[in-house]
Amino acid sequence: MKGQKILCPSPVVQGLVILVFVLGFGLNTFAQGVTPPMNVDAKDTPNDAGKSITITWEKAVDGISVANRVRGYQILRRIETGEFEEVGPLLPPETTEYKDSTIEEGTPYAYIVRAVTEDGTTFDSGETDFVKGTGEWFHTKKIPLFLAMLLFSIAIVWNIYHAQSGKEIFVRRIPGLEAVDEAIGRATEMGRSILYVLGLGGVSDVATIASMTILGQVARRTADYETPLRVPCNDPVVLNVVREIVRSSYLNEGRPDAYNEENIFFLTESQFAYAAGVDGIMVREKPAAVFLQGTFYAESLILAETGNSIGAIQIAGTASEHQLPFFIAACDYTLIGEELYAASAYLSKEPMLLGSLRGQDWGKLFIFAAIVLGVILELLGVNWITTFLQRVS
Amino acid sequence: MTRQVPLVLCFLFGIVMILTEFVPHSRSQGLYQGIVNWSLIISPFALVLAVATLIQTHWTRISRHTEHWQYSYVVFIGIIIMVLIGVPTFLNNVSFLSKIGLSFGPKSPIFEWLFNNVQVPMDATMFSLLAFFIASAAYRAFRARTFEATLLLITALIVMMGNVPIGDLIWNTVMAWTPWDDVTSTARQWILDNPNLSARRGIILGVSLGVISQSIRIILGIERSYLGGD
Repeated sequence: MKGQKILCPSPVVQGLVILVFVLGFGLNTFAQGVTPPMNVDAKDTPNDAGKSITITWEKAVDGISVANRVRGYQILRRIETGEFEEVGPLLPPETTEYKDSTIEEGTPYAYIVRAVTEDGTTFDSGETDFVKGTGEWFHTKKIPLFLAMLLFSIAIVWNIYHAQSGKEIFVRRIPGLEAVDEAIGRATEMGRSILYVLGLGGVSDVATIASMTILGQVARRTADYETPLRVPCNDPVVLNVVREIVRSSYLNEGRPDAYNEENIFFLTESQFAYAAGVDGIMVREKPAAVFLQGTFYAESLILAETGNSIGAIQIAGTASEHQLPFFIAACDYTLIGEELYAASAYLSKEPMLLGSLRGQDWGKLFIFAAIVLGVILELLGVNWITTFLQRVS
Repeated sequence: MTRQVPLVLCFLFGIVMILTEFVPHSRSQGLYQGIVNWSLIISPFALVLAVATLIQTHWTRISRHTEHWQYSYVVFIGIIIMVLIGVPTFLNNVSFLSKIGLSFGPKSPIFEWLFNNVQVPMDATMFSLLAFFIASAAYRAFRARTFEATLLLITALIVMMGNVPIGDLIWNTVMAWTPWDDVTSTARQWILDNPNLSARRGIILGVSLGVISQSIRIILGIERSYLGGD
């Protein structure tokens, strides 16, 4: 009976025992107070080459004491047959997302997120399912950009196609390009050379390609007038392409004998050494006309002011908007931005090229309409155009 | 045929490079990187030809005794010294040269000394000239002959006063009695953020459309001036 009494204590004693357990467990929890990161999820990163997995989680809850506050998160991963290993640095405590870019494409990985407290104690989340990185065949966030490019290209191609019908296309007068003949004529009359500077752009730079197309047209005229055309180059590949362009232009004009390869030469790849070299040519040879067409940086004003000081007629053109004020201040004529790209069509007067300019204008009209509509809608408190454009960019 | 092959290649590579922008797959990115690497491989070959033209140009100047021909010797001396010190890294294995403190290659102390104490100061000198050229160009641009030039002059003065420390000093001491706080700085920021930024964005939009239009013309083979006319 005594034994039975011991095995079955009174309700008061049972209550006390339960209270001790509850309080003991509660105090222990209160001392730690940290819950591990919750809802950990690992997904293949969308719109990438399959080289990353994105892990997201909900932040761990801090403990009360300073020692139990979360100092940061450590990501751990494993492959199907391996142990967990740390990935990347300890992340700041406010982080809830990490992109693991050190994975191998096609290999499945599982992750856990470890919360590390100030005293070094760790609290691991549950393990995620195995996920592998796969590359996508289309960047879905770029669909609007792709459609815009497609529409604009169709507009240009359509105008090029219709330009062949022979209908005259109006192109506004561009003084800088009208002056090309004047500059070449002046150099011819004075018996002095023409200096053509393509800037610092490489052969893959669109402004340099545009400059080359203008050079081709200039070379045709210099071939006719037998005016020396000097082209100092900054890029070795550009040098070779330019030689070919000028040679072909002379050949097309039936003057291969007037072409002098030595007039197209390499100076240096260094920016300011190139500026010094071109300045030296200007000061020594005093060309009657200077063309500054292409991509320019800080050397733009050094070149333009030296050209101005020798009294040469200067025609500049660049798409670098920061250099345009310098050219406008120091040169006689300046092709501003898009005029540089219109030069080839303007000078050759070919209908198909002129048609592309009209397509370009359609694009401008569309953008202008979108801006006006956006402003009106914003004033009316409707901001879906703004939101859409912000999301696309 | 000599004209058609480059045009076909240009079309194919142009289309492929556009598509790689929209296809993030590793095969697409590998193709893009491969094409970029090909273009990089071309550069050293072109550089050899470029250096040959540089030597040819200066040799001609010396042989013809054109104006300032003596400076062409400086080019040759510079090339020879930098090539002799920067290129033959195999000479680092010659114990005699190492003993007398000579080292070769692009990380050689002599090479670095020449770069830091000759080329860098000369570049800085050319860059410094910009200050004087800006002054002379500004003088011409800001002469108040027309309404537009006067507008430009006033705008430039406001922006300048808002940028330089003396502008703040004048406003916060001499003009401190006025009810407006730091008006030059505010006006400068307004000019840069509104009329200036609007004009720049207009130019950028035009340039971007021009680039696309030019690229389409080249890809479709309509623009052939870069091949030398026609």
